[in-house]
Amino acid sequence: MATPQPPTVSRRRFLAGAAGLASLGLAGCSADAAEATEIRFYQTKREVIPYIGDLLEQFRSEHPGIRPIHDTSEGTLNGQFVRSSPPDLALQLYNYEMARFQERGELSDLSDLPEAAMITDSVKEQLELYPTYPGRLSVLPYSMMSAAVVYNQEIFAQHDVEVPTTHSEFIAACETFQDAGVTPIYGTWADPWTIAQGLVDYTVGGMVDVINLFQQLRDLGPDVGPDSRVSFSKVLREPLEKMLALLPYHQGDANGRNYGDGNNAFANGQAAMYLQGPWALVEIGKINPDAQVGTFPLPMTEDPADNKVRVNLDLALWIPEHAKHRDEARELLRFLARPEIQDAYNEFALGFGVRTDAPPVRDPRIAPMQPYVDRGAVYQGVSQGIPTNIPFYNYCQDVVFGADLERMLATLDADWARLAKRA
Amino acid sequence: MTLTSTEAPTATAPAGLRPTPKRRPDATHLFFLLPTLIAFTLCIALPAVMGVFFSFTNSVGYGEWDFVGLANYQLMFTDPAIMASFWFTLWFSAVTVVATNVVAFLLAVGLTAQIRARVPLRAIFVIPMVVSPIIIAFVFHFLFAKTLPTAAQAVGFGPLEESILANPDLAWLSIVIVTAWQAVPQALLIFIAGLLAIPADLYEASALDGAGPWKQMKMITIPLMAGYIGINVIITFKNFLNAYDIIVGLTDGGPGTSTRSVAMTIFSGFETGDYAYQMATATIFFLITLAIAVVQLRLMRRKDQ
Repeated sequence: MATPQPPTVSRRRFLAGAAGLASLGLAGCSADAAEATEIRFYQTKREVIPYIGDLLEQFRSEHPGIRPIHDTSEGTLNGQFVRSSPPDLALQLYNYEMARFQERGELSDLSDLPEAAMITDSVKEQLELYPTYPGRLSVLPYSMMSAAVVYNQEIFAQHDVEVPTTHSEFIAACETFQDAGVTPIYGTWADPWTIAQGLVDYTVGGMVDVINLFQQLRDLGPDVGPDSRVSFSKVLREPLEKMLALLPYHQGDANGRNYGDGNNAFANGQAAMYLQGPWALVEIGKINPDAQVGTFPLPMTEDPADNKVRVNLDLALWIPEHAKHRDEARELLRFLARPEIQDAYNEFALGFGVRTDAPPVRDPRIAPMQPYVDRGAVYQGVSQGIPTNIPFYNYCQDVVFGADLERMLATLDADWARLAKRA
Repeated sequence: MTLTSTEAPTATAPAGLRPTPKRRPDATHLFFLLPTLIAFTLCIALPAVMGVFFSFTNSVGYGEWDFVGLANYQLMFTDPAIMASFWFTLWFSAVTVVATNVVAFLLAVGLTAQIRARVPLRAIFVIPMVVSPIIIAFVFHFLFAKTLPTAAQAVGFGPLEESILANPDLAWLSIVIVTAWQAVPQALLIFIAGLLAIPADLYEASALDGAGPWKQMKMITIPLMAGYIGINVIITFKNFLNAYDIIVGLTDGGPGTSTRSVAMTIFSGFETGDYAYQMATATIFFLITLAIAVVQLRLMRRKDQ
């Protein structure tokens, strides 16, 4: 989620190239392998690759017997499992791709590590978004991201608008901006993922218990449909109708704008609000270091106590069951999980801690979300719970571009049922 | 295969065209075939057979799997996303075939006429063929998403003020334009070769009989070019069915799912753990392409005789 995926080289070619390079690399390095054990460490979150690279450097000087190789080849993970050569250790997004490795028992158990006991209960609960492997702790959560409405504090002050705490206050704020000729919300709908993680996740998460929804849908499996007890048609309709009502508050050319355009426009004060996560704050800070921005949860009801922020387990550490050097991988895992290293990382990446003794976030841009995280007023993005074989991001884009909502939800129900038949 | 009927030898073959007597190829010839045969078997035939095999399982590409019989095929044919990608691919290919061949044919006629700078112009028109499709797609993405709307806004031309890539009804046209732009050179070269092979005296004789350019085109050029047109249509059609990189670079299958090609759908299975299921799609797609290849071979052989 954190990194947008601009279309790049044909993936097939990329895979082929990466495989070729990997085999060359292995052949080339076997000479000095006698003294140090090489382990492959997979990590592709783009914004933090140099930072993690420095940590590996530090690890090498502490453990001369282990040489971690930093594998940052995006999009190759599934292929590595298919070829039975998974990495020894990974620090990756906890998303549906890795949930499949977890469900199929491809990841080793980490529950015996002392670090595992330190994870907070609310974070453990978030692991339940995906099917887990019975009796195992397959991943060690590392960093959590919290996302909400990003707003321009100067524009809010100029127009005397307070941070809204109910849905009608939010609509009123949008009206005020629109009447004053200010774009209320900047939309980047050319990138489907921005629609899913922003508009869709915020509106649904503000009204629906997402984890519970997916547990029920999983229980129903192939029986999900128009007549089932729980279905996308039944649960998502109301929030998504409310979402469609927010579309007129976006700028006119939102259809053709992408994530990069949005960061630029928002950093330069072209809109009052922007539905993006902390990863965008980093980019906005680069474009305009003086931008005064803050965050608040999108209120979806008339009760301020209902307000919640979107969280996702951003990064988690895991070791494949068939890793070649599990002991060495565990050394590196324990190094990265040291509180002083983990907390410093989270401060750098604007992440929230996942341990019971982790310090609160201090950055003023994301600090307003800390109270919500502390009292568990959080939800997972509904877009994160739908298997990637269902092109949900694209469906969201369809609806925002004007396709029929009922039909989209019916398709989603049918896709879910069809997928369950195949499992 | 079935073309040699028993009547064939009775026809009087002109001298010099008599078929050489059939002999068994000797070991040396077979030996020279070996490298290609091994490479083809290991890199193409074997993986393809494995793919077909896995289309009858529920494998995600690793770990344990079970046989599921024809379930993947049954579900596939009721999957609107897959069916939509088949229809999109066929429709897109058909339109692009027409666009590519009409443009290439007209260009070829122009470039074989007695005009100045004919040879340098031919070289210029061939350039799109040597640029990588993904680069072309990125350049055109910029043109469609930024340049065209800005220009349209400047002159106040309403329909193009919004990027056509963001319009679910028009995005496919951008793919047709870019794909055709890249595919024209190859078709153009074949057409030029064909046009140059038409004897000039045919035109001279017809001109003496009073045929104008239009009549010459209808009575001489098009009939004599029929074989070339047929081959070009089939080659381009088969290539467009595999459309992938240009679409990824331009629309990535969007907006929504309106421009997802079959190749993209199949490849998504590799990324999303839908390995076995999309192998079923690939198998069906293989059969379709195979049918087209058979037609192509038939046509080419007919031209040889």
